[in-house]
Amino acid sequence: MTQIIKARALAKSYRGVRALDGVNLDIEAGRIVGLIGPNGAGKTTALKAILGLTHFEGELTVMGKNPYTERDSLMRDVCFIADVAVLPRWLRVHQALDFVAAVQPRFDRSRAEGFLSKTDIKSTSRVRELSKGMVTQLHLALILAIDARLLVLDEPTLGLDLLFRRQFYDTLVNDYFDKERTILVTTHQVEEIENLLTDVLFIQRGRIVLSTSVEDLGARYVQLTASTEQARLARQLQPFYEREVFGRVALFFDGRAPEELQQFGEIRTPSIADLFVAKMQGEAA
Amino acid sequence: MNIMPMLIRRELWEHRFLWVVPLVIAGLIVIAAMFPHASVQIDPEDIATPEKYLGLFALFHSAMTVPQFLLLSVLLPYYLIDCLFAERKDRSILFWKSLPVSDAQTVLSKLLVALAVIPLGVFVLTLFTDVAATAILAVRFHGAQMMGAFLRWDLQTWLRTQGLILAALVMLVLWYAPLAAYLLLVSAWAKRSAFLWAVLPPLAAMLVEKIAFGTHYVAALLGYRLSGKVPIGFVGHAADKAGSGGEHAAAMIERLKPLTALANIDLWLGLAVTVALVWLTIRIRRHQTES
Repeated sequence: MTQIIKARALAKSYRGVRALDGVNLDIEAGRIVGLIGPNGAGKTTALKAILGLTHFEGELTVMGKNPYTERDSLMRDVCFIADVAVLPRWLRVHQALDFVAAVQPRFDRSRAEGFLSKTDIKSTSRVRELSKGMVTQLHLALILAIDARLLVLDEPTLGLDLLFRRQFYDTLVNDYFDKERTILVTTHQVEEIENLLTDVLFIQRGRIVLSTSVEDLGARYVQLTASTEQARLARQLQPFYEREVFGRVALFFDGRAPEELQQFGEIRTPSIADLFVAKMQGEAA
Repeated sequence: MNIMPMLIRRELWEHRFLWVVPLVIAGLIVIAAMFPHASVQIDPEDIATPEKYLGLFALFHSAMTVPQFLLLSVLLPYYLIDCLFAERKDRSILFWKSLPVSDAQTVLSKLLVALAVIPLGVFVLTLFTDVAATAILAVRFHGAQMMGAFLRWDLQTWLRTQGLILAALVMLVLWYAPLAAYLLLVSAWAKRSAFLWAVLPPLAAMLVEKIAFGTHYVAALLGYRLSGKVPIGFVGHAADKAGSGGEHAAAMIERLKPLTALANIDLWLGLAVTVALVWLTIRIRRHQTES
């Protein structure tokens, strides 16, 4: 497996506040990695460091390059949508195509035009005349027509309605992703991407608190739903988090065999969203 | 792959006023030439001798072009203060930085637009404006003897006048380059109100110097750099030689020696400062994301 991103003791402080505090990362090719964390956990800072937008301490290489000093050559192989709607408002659609075609050798203009022909976006329109959803479609058409090895998405669907969000991820998975490419995505809407992900990274207070593939996640974490009495017994097996749901208790276990827990109630692999909440609340407690 | 032409086109897309305003002015000059204006009075004395005639001829053609360059002295500073500030304000810097374009290429493209593309483009535009307006006037005043004589085309003088303007333009650009680089630096650095940040530090420096030491070195230095005396290469004083219009104009033009600025050490010092400021601007843009 080719390693795409490698970080060792990656750190970054803003005026004495540690935004990243010794992050280690190993992201391999062909994965869809979700970087998930609460607000202010360091997600955006981590992505900025990976994209060469900010200076950092520690060791970080993206495809063997230092992103801060080699951003321009790195961007031949990396593309990103950082937040939503950063396309300049004065830009016309055909100008955007002209520009990217001239500066990005891996851009396939006809592919971008193909994406755009499926939308209502006119090539003479300016970005300021498009709706928020259309701007995202345009940006996505530009990015997906670049034959890049790493795609980084930071809250790509923020502020979009459900239809656009669904369409966005469908396009991403069906028309773009293959085993050669890697996608790193952050979002607050974890439920929407959880079926796409191959790997998850939980980040909290500038540290990676969980780094696992989705397959391993099922082997390691178990969610037990039990009645209050059964839960009392199950607590001896040391769940790291629990919460009450409709008079029953959901208990989360790390590294317990399902056979051990079956006797107390229903067991299943927790959803990434539930696990995220469990980890974050559990750590805080 | 050479991406500079595209980066320059990008600037002209975003800052359309850079070429729209000069085009409008050129259009107005040509239109003005089509309408009668009674105020044009030429004293036969002024064009009595070939020297006088040529002086006035040169003055006339300079008058067609110089307003455009005065206008640039407003448009270009505005552009320079805005260009690296606007991309952070609207956050589009995150889009530009997602493409394989280095910060050096971006900063240089903006400097190139301000110091070469627009000045030279406007110079070429003024040549066309001048020829068009002169041709229109020549046709209109074909019968009138005085004006007809005045509009007699003298290619050699015309080329010399335009050559002089071009030389002065190039020298002005080189002379003002450090100011352009300073504005670019402020544009890349200021978190808000880039215009104030461009203007206040020099004013503050002057004030502090005045209060603390009672001297005016900063003001003198700025005044020296802002005045176009060195790059135009004006020798002597305007009032040296009294005379009628034609002779006066001829004398004025005789005394403009823009290329002498090349021998002035301050021009080269200014260029060295420009290089340093541009280098700093590139460094600043490298870690800028949004304001």
